[in-house]
Amino acid sequence: MPVTEAPTFGAAPARPAHAMRHIVASRDFREGFVEMLPVAISLLPFGVVCGVGAAAAGAGWLGSLGLSALVFSGSAQIVATQLLVANAPLAVIVLTAAILGLRLLMYSAAMAPLVRPLSRRWQRAIAFALSDQLFAAAVTRFARDDDRLGAARHFAGCGACLWITWQAACMAGFLAGNVIPAAWSLDFAVPLCFLALVAPLFRDAPAVLAAVAAGIAVLALAHLPMKLDLIAAGLIGIAMGTAADLARDRWMRR
Amino acid sequence: MDATLKLAAVIVALGALNYLSRLSFIAFFAQRSMPPLLARALKYVPAAMLTALIVPMIVDVNPDGADFASPKVPAAALAGIVAFGTRSVLATLGAGMGALWLLQWARA
Repeated sequence: MPVTEAPTFGAAPARPAHAMRHIVASRDFREGFVEMLPVAISLLPFGVVCGVGAAAAGAGWLGSLGLSALVFSGSAQIVATQLLVANAPLAVIVLTAAILGLRLLMYSAAMAPLVRPLSRRWQRAIAFALSDQLFAAAVTRFARDDDRLGAARHFAGCGACLWITWQAACMAGFLAGNVIPAAWSLDFAVPLCFLALVAPLFRDAPAVLAAVAAGIAVLALAHLPMKLDLIAAGLIGIAMGTAADLARDRWMRR
Repeated sequence: MDATLKLAAVIVALGALNYLSRLSFIAFFAQRSMPPLLARALKYVPAAMLTALIVPMIVDVNPDGADFASPKVPAAALAGIVAFGTRSVLATLGAGMGALWLLQWARA
């Protein structure tokens, strides 16, 4: 078998607009888009809740759309709107979101070897859409396929599907949030959405310890100024989970 | 700071922050592998941060202490069990909101 050098796929095209049409028209893109639909639909309620949050923070429609379009992360959007309502300083909002966004480093590191043969342009595009759900969908395709450019087009299809439905859901929530009466306690939907994300993690003992430590800490530190309690409790929880994980490894190795 | 300006600043800052985090190991640290301790710690970011966010939304903290008697506490407990079993956002929302409305109606 002849040994070939790892080629670079999708080198910068001469006519980007034409190339874009080419990607969207490809079979891989269409397959990705359709494959992602059930996941995107399951996330609609979370998007609606994020939109309600933006409305509660007093954002206009443009602010709400800007938040969902550029940040493109439900938990970060919720953090931003909640801390805006609590009148936290800008630096605290950014720092809290930065700690929450640390998990994106994990996806970035896992994606990096898969996208290495692709062009810079593709890498930057893929990074924009990288999220919890897309990572899961993309990894199987990238692992299965030797055709990296096909996998990249597939990822673009998944990303487009999720991004478009996410904008629609957030906008629907924003519009609904301005008319739904407060007696419905719709703000309670926010912790419920997060519970749906966090409860399935409790199959792992260090994760349970991390959560319990963070939960106790956030109540004990509730009186910290400038909403610094979230940052402090989050760091305590992460430290607890990491220590428990290390201890478990030591125990297993004995 | 003006509220609209602050929202714009938050959108730009968080958008840039999230994009740079997503790009980190794909572009900036492409030649490096992640330090093992960091990789270990990152696994616990969602459990710790999401719980820190959830708890104050369910348990109100007054100057006298935490209020565990709110109907939101049992409703959230039920929703947590449903979430653990189903992993479904819609089922979790249905169980939690349904339980809260029922408890509020029973107390009224």
